[in-house]
Amino acid sequence: MTGVVTGCGVLSAAGDSVTDLLAAVRAGSLVGTDVRGRFEEPLPAAEAPAIADFDVRRLLGRKGTSFLDRATALAMVACGRALADGGLTVDDDNRRRVGVVLGTTTGSLRSTMDFSRDTLVQEKPYLVNPVLFPNTVMNCASGQAAIRYGLRGVNATLAGGPLGFLYALRYALNAIRRGYADALLVGGVEEYTPNTAWAADLTGDGPAGEAAAVYLLRRPDAAAAGTPRAEVLAVATGFHPDDPAEGLAGCARRALATAHVRAGDVWAVAGGDPDPDTLRGVVPAAVERLPVRPALGDCQAATGALALGALLGRYAEDPAPHGRPALITGRSRDGGVAVAVVRGWRRAGDHHG
Amino acid sequence: MNRVVVTGLGPVSGIGIGVDEFTAGLRSGRSAAAPIRSFDATGFPHRYAGEVPAFRPEAVLRRLRIADWGRSALFAAAAARLAVTDAGLPLPAADPGRTGAVIGTTSGESTVVEQLVAELVDGGYPAMSAEALRQAPAERLAYAVSAELGLAGESVTLATACSASNYAIGYAYDLLCSGEADVMVAGGADSVCRWAHAGFFRLGALTERQCRPFDRDRSGILTGEGGAALVLETLDHARARGARIYAEVLGYGVNCDAHHMVAPNEDSVAACMRLAQENAGVKPADVDYISTHGTGTPANDLCEARAIRAVFGDHVPPVSSIKSMLGHTMGAASGFGAIATTLAIRHGFLPPTINWANPDPELSWIDPVPNTARPATVRVAQNNGFAFGGNNAITIFGAIR
Repeated sequence: MTGVVTGCGVLSAAGDSVTDLLAAVRAGSLVGTDVRGRFEEPLPAAEAPAIADFDVRRLLGRKGTSFLDRATALAMVACGRALADGGLTVDDDNRRRVGVVLGTTTGSLRSTMDFSRDTLVQEKPYLVNPVLFPNTVMNCASGQAAIRYGLRGVNATLAGGPLGFLYALRYALNAIRRGYADALLVGGVEEYTPNTAWAADLTGDGPAGEAAAVYLLRRPDAAAAGTPRAEVLAVATGFHPDDPAEGLAGCARRALATAHVRAGDVWAVAGGDPDPDTLRGVVPAAVERLPVRPALGDCQAATGALALGALLGRYAEDPAPHGRPALITGRSRDGGVAVAVVRGWRRAGDHHG
Repeated sequence: MNRVVVTGLGPVSGIGIGVDEFTAGLRSGRSAAAPIRSFDATGFPHRYAGEVPAFRPEAVLRRLRIADWGRSALFAAAAARLAVTDAGLPLPAADPGRTGAVIGTTSGESTVVEQLVAELVDGGYPAMSAEALRQAPAERLAYAVSAELGLAGESVTLATACSASNYAIGYAYDLLCSGEADVMVAGGADSVCRWAHAGFFRLGALTERQCRPFDRDRSGILTGEGGAALVLETLDHARARGARIYAEVLGYGVNCDAHHMVAPNEDSVAACMRLAQENAGVKPADVDYISTHGTGTPANDLCEARAIRAVFGDHVPPVSSIKSMLGHTMGAASGFGAIATTLAIRHGFLPPTINWANPDPELSWIDPVPNTARPATVRVAQNNGFAFGGNNAITIFGAIR
């Protein structure tokens, strides 16, 4: 069984629609937001591919939002938009069958490090603020999103770094196939903070980006599932530290076989990686490539989610790839690899260009 | 659909490293509680934890370069190595792509992050070391297992806090059931750290020296650490290689409170038990033993006991909390619970709840197997795991038939 994507919620440095996202990815140059003055601490650069003008109180209200960290708030907004876009009304009849599955790297690194820092710099090591303690757990965003929208079904957080979204997508697809859930908000979220900015800078992964992208994934047979934007046919993963390129190729072949898709039919490959040789020899040479990293920086667990967004933008604007399969790829420094096979459609009402 | 069985156990805990020591620890009611050594606990009013001071990764690991990995990854990899050795699993696997790892955690590489914090406090953000930054991502817990064992299949870290091992076992069970893998190493790992100790203290949830679940005077958790791993295989795969089978994984259930980030929810916990039992094809009356989440906080144990009564009615089986012995090992906790449950089935005994002195009149229906392990025939056992974020996950194991 597959899962159908019936809604999406995107927040990115390039804008809040898949059209904005696609335009930035296609342009291929780094989207810069002025981040000076955003933090008291110094930053490695004055500009970064961070989300501009995110106002949590305006978007979520004042109640219950003052202690949210940025990653959690971004995820909550993206989840709300995906639910609304997918037209899913959550009520007592369905809330046990609706859930949240998010990819992350370390949760909010800033929340955790600030909390831990208080144990060193306060007069007593225990003088931390207990209200902020839940922000240190990596499942904070998925737990808070569940509370806000009343979602009592499958709720999970997958720590996958650059593969976080693809791991989440595979986990969600499994939950739907196994009959554990009817609809899942699946996404990736990463915040831009001095912590992530310096981490990316010091490890040579920079510049750090920022994004939250969440999709409403539903059982294909769900009544009133709405007109789907896309279908997730298969996700395969593996671990190949010695030969990640061959590992990724093997992963792609498995995913394609599971999806019953011929490699020659693949029209696009999206992912973080701008390497034009990715999956060369597996997919046709003329395949369209949509790498998100050159435009949006290192968005870690949100990378794959942005790649799916860029693909949705392409399906919406152009009748040519209608119904044809595309791949989303991911690769981590340590040898993790993952490939998703999706196909999308141009829907009535998708605007032109 | 494949049946799924447990063929290897790898506990790295404060009451024993390796299945023999751990079993002896459970049977004798050993306690891991001791003054904290992992960090300087000066200034904390409560300075006890359930650490694993005897952990020597170099004594267990064969492939990983220890300097490349954080403490939690090393716990996970060592637990996994012990589990595959216990399982007699031939490695490298004939088809490495059909063997994988799923590891759960609460705080991932918390000691690495705390090292970064210390560097930051001393010299600002640019003083953070690149090596520690590369070790910090939580995905490396599962990667450490796969790298240590040479596994090429799925390698995923589930960060669903204190029920994460049950999530991991459940997900691994699904992959085996549906035929996507032949063998999965599943479990969890976490390390004692300052920030969790401080956070639980300020929540008023930290006990001073002893964790006393289900006792009238219980006063909270003891922070703990360790690595727990189980080798799960399809029954066909296990039989084909003549493996010793400890128990069968009958099923699991997960749900979310969607109520409060920290406080447990009785109705939701009860609903999760029903989900797990339905998935496993068992009825409450079939369950002979419950390994509880049993943190030892007044709120958790009351909530959990009430949820148990709601599901089991007048036939509540004996329950115990191994957190009384281990402390709260966070993301590893339900993995240790799964190991204890498996051993209970295999060897016919119920692990005790130690440090128990006074019955709680509000929990009159609870038999916590006080202080001393008890011989018992366990055909079906339930392993509870709850977490911050309302992430409930329950696994159910049964004697192999």
